[in-house]
Amino acid sequence: MNNCGRLGAAAEGVPAMTSYGWLFDPKRCIECSACEAACKQWNQVETGVNVRWRRVLRRESGAFPNVQVTAISMACNHCENAFCQKVCPARAVWRRGSMVLIDSEKCVGCGQCYAFCPYGAPQFNPVTRKTTKCTMCFDRVEQGLQPACATACPTGALKWGEWKDIENRGSDRMPGMAHPRQMQPRIRFVTEPWRA
Amino acid sequence: MISRRTVLQNAGAAAALSFAPWREAFAAHFEQSRSAPYPPESIVTACGFCDSACGMRATVQDGAIRFLQGLPEDPHNEGRLCAKGTTAAWVKNDPDRLKFPMKRTNPRKGIEEDPGWVRISWTEALDTVAARFAEIRERYGPEALLAISRSSPAWFARLFSALGMERVDHNDLCYGVDIVMQQRTIGAHSFAWDLENAKCIVLFGWDFMARAKLSLANRLLHARENGARIINFNPLYTPTARFCDEWHPVRPGGDLAVALAMIHVLLKENLFDRDFAEKYTNFPQYEAELRTHFEKYTPEWAETESDVPAPVIRRIAREYGTSRPAVAPLHKKTLAANYENAAPMCHAIAILNILAGNIDRPGGHYFPRTISIPALDTIYPPPAYPRLPSKRVDGREKLPLAGSYGMFSTLADGMTRVYPDRVKGIFWSGYHLNSFPQPRLLAEALKKVEFMVIVEILPMDAVYFADIVLPNTMFLEGSDVLSRTYNAKSPFVVVRQPLTAAPFETRSSAFIAIELGKRLAPEYFRKADGTWISSSELLDEQVRRAGIAENFAEFRKMGFLAREQPFTPRTTFATATGKCQIYVPEFAARGYEPLPSWRPKRESPSPQFPYYLITYLPGEHKRNSTQNNPILMEISGPMRVQIHPSTARKHGIRDGGPIWVRSRVGGITALAQLTETVRPDVVVVPHGYGHKSPWLSVARGIGESDNDLIPALRIEALQESGNWLGSGCIMDAVVAIEPA
Repeated sequence: MNNCGRLGAAAEGVPAMTSYGWLFDPKRCIECSACEAACKQWNQVETGVNVRWRRVLRRESGAFPNVQVTAISMACNHCENAFCQKVCPARAVWRRGSMVLIDSEKCVGCGQCYAFCPYGAPQFNPVTRKTTKCTMCFDRVEQGLQPACATACPTGALKWGEWKDIENRGSDRMPGMAHPRQMQPRIRFVTEPWRA
Repeated sequence: MISRRTVLQNAGAAAALSFAPWREAFAAHFEQSRSAPYPPESIVTACGFCDSACGMRATVQDGAIRFLQGLPEDPHNEGRLCAKGTTAAWVKNDPDRLKFPMKRTNPRKGIEEDPGWVRISWTEALDTVAARFAEIRERYGPEALLAISRSSPAWFARLFSALGMERVDHNDLCYGVDIVMQQRTIGAHSFAWDLENAKCIVLFGWDFMARAKLSLANRLLHARENGARIINFNPLYTPTARFCDEWHPVRPGGDLAVALAMIHVLLKENLFDRDFAEKYTNFPQYEAELRTHFEKYTPEWAETESDVPAPVIRRIAREYGTSRPAVAPLHKKTLAANYENAAPMCHAIAILNILAGNIDRPGGHYFPRTISIPALDTIYPPPAYPRLPSKRVDGREKLPLAGSYGMFSTLADGMTRVYPDRVKGIFWSGYHLNSFPQPRLLAEALKKVEFMVIVEILPMDAVYFADIVLPNTMFLEGSDVLSRTYNAKSPFVVVRQPLTAAPFETRSSAFIAIELGKRLAPEYFRKADGTWISSSELLDEQVRRAGIAENFAEFRKMGFLAREQPFTPRTTFATATGKCQIYVPEFAARGYEPLPSWRPKRESPSPQFPYYLITYLPGEHKRNSTQNNPILMEISGPMRVQIHPSTARKHGIRDGGPIWVRSRVGGITALAQLTETVRPDVVVVPHGYGHKSPWLSVARGIGESDNDLIPALRIEALQESGNWLGSGCIMDAVVAIEPA
């Protein structure tokens, strides 16, 4: 039942040449956390140990009554230039196509990847003493399905697709999020306002 | 006086009981069901957490539910599920689940008592319940039996009616007031709002974005996409506010003042739909009364009660009056039960919709187009039911115009003060102890009940007061035909079917009701030819008579049925006069107000309790029922009470630090969350925390119940205060805070 084990062999079928990424529209997010629920449900991520591959982050700005809230659903952005991969002393972080994966058999749980990831994507599981993170549901992608989170998102705030279709849409910046220049995360944010 | 010490002790709850053997049994059961692998299968069913009943497409693999997602063809949820529905399999596979019928061996009842459960057979369990109920009815009469249950499934309703049992439900804490108001003003109650086609939407506390009720949330989403103008009155800035053009942090209870002032402006400036008003409403007949009545509710007056500036109210009223279609949706808990002024609030909102001429019109408040599914009593007509007790334990008959719903808010008082020693036997199903205002009062009352049987899925708190526990199936294991009403411009019917077999010895509600019926009132559970009625035959008949399919098996294969039909607006309405009633003569005839008047909420801040209390339902949980789901509990996290930073500073409360909230009836401790999204004079407490059952391995001991702060009601107080439709006042409290 647990997919957090060795991912290596199972990921062979992912088309190697296709790049995928996330497109997020913050104005549509209702903070329902269906994305996180679906992620946990599909990937059977351990619960109760604060391992949350995807989660909804909330940022307030302004003061009452002129307050603004931005909510974004954040998981691993499968960066073009993945620091986690660069810093892993056990060489457990590897790539299949555009997906960045952690080989749990090689992982020594040292936490380096977590320390260097500005998105908090790799998460240490104190029970298994391994670091795990979002796999972009490679097993679903293999079967021609969308990742669980994007399948679940009720309002279409979180979308997933081929990077070539997403790359030039929206902004690569989001207040409070690390500058994308170094990592080149595979996520874009829709900035168009609602139709008046 | 409740001391902080007791509060903390109660939060800690009793020590955990050993549950190990059953956990092993659980593991063995699921190992077994996995032993015969078969390829993944996609099955259509319907969610059962809320009454939206969103269509689901389930991936079942090796006898286990792999994934649940929305049914793409379903207009309700548009192919998506919320966090609750997505993780519903966790309830099904919860290791804490009740597995076998059990009887109590320790006569002392209470959450702190070990009931000394002993596993028994279904035959013994049902025989015991039947024998005890028969004995109680014989000795004390039917009024000594009480059902704390919903009216559905219909099987339970038949059992209660056959036994002449009084039934109470939660509608005074929910939409009860609004149901009556809609029936009297527009003829029938409906929660269908064509928001996506509206041009102007005014939301009074409506917050279905944060609640993630997708059948309604999607409507507002599309309204936003279509460029509607959306205005939001709410003391909190919730996710709904992000979909609105304007957010006005209205004073709690002051919504009524805004609505009355909007009606004032609409009438004064003749900005209502005159054509609709003249043809389809009683406006012409009562025009003079209306104009006189609303004359005093000027926006300037409303500003003093709502903190919304008069020019803003006037502008919004004009926008609302000049945009077509314009609509002011109201749904369930949003103001229908929050405060003592719920009745005029629901009435005022109904009038806003009637004046906008939107009743059963595109872009308005419409009546759902459904395929009617014949009810149990239609298919198997019962013999005449015995008369119900004329005096109800909850005292509802003392509110003559209140609907045919029960009252949770007055139940504890009814059981202990008004009719002490009356209730000897209780049938409890589908509710949680923490759903009641001041749950401890009811817990005390339950301790004294001679015999209680509970039909439950999980070992919730109420199980600790039961003598017999009957383990129930949950919706992923049941069968049903669901004709939906939330987003129903054309009919849509969806199937509910078991994804996997019911685990252990869990049984459906129909099985329980029929088996008890056979023992207690057999004449009500026989067909005309003398054979027993059965739930599968009922489904076959329902499907066939509704013209959906040949039989239920056929419908299972279809999964759902959508019928396209043009939307023809109604021209007559099911009220006494056949017209929409702005002025309700039936109210006047009974000595109640025929038009909504201003009345403040019951409690206002005082030096002792300086803050308004606001409670809310976190979108990742369904009330009190999903807290044992580890995924959802991880998302919601520990209980956080939201307050404004300036308020926190005044009391020396820090972000993430402990906070003690107390009202005149109780106190809770939680963690403080400082946020700019709330009015500085409100304290915001989430609902659904505070389970104490030691057998809930995830939920137990996390947070406390918001209902510990909410005063339970006395029926006389409702009559005296003019709360004549029996709002449960689930937020009508003021509180004090300090660091814990």
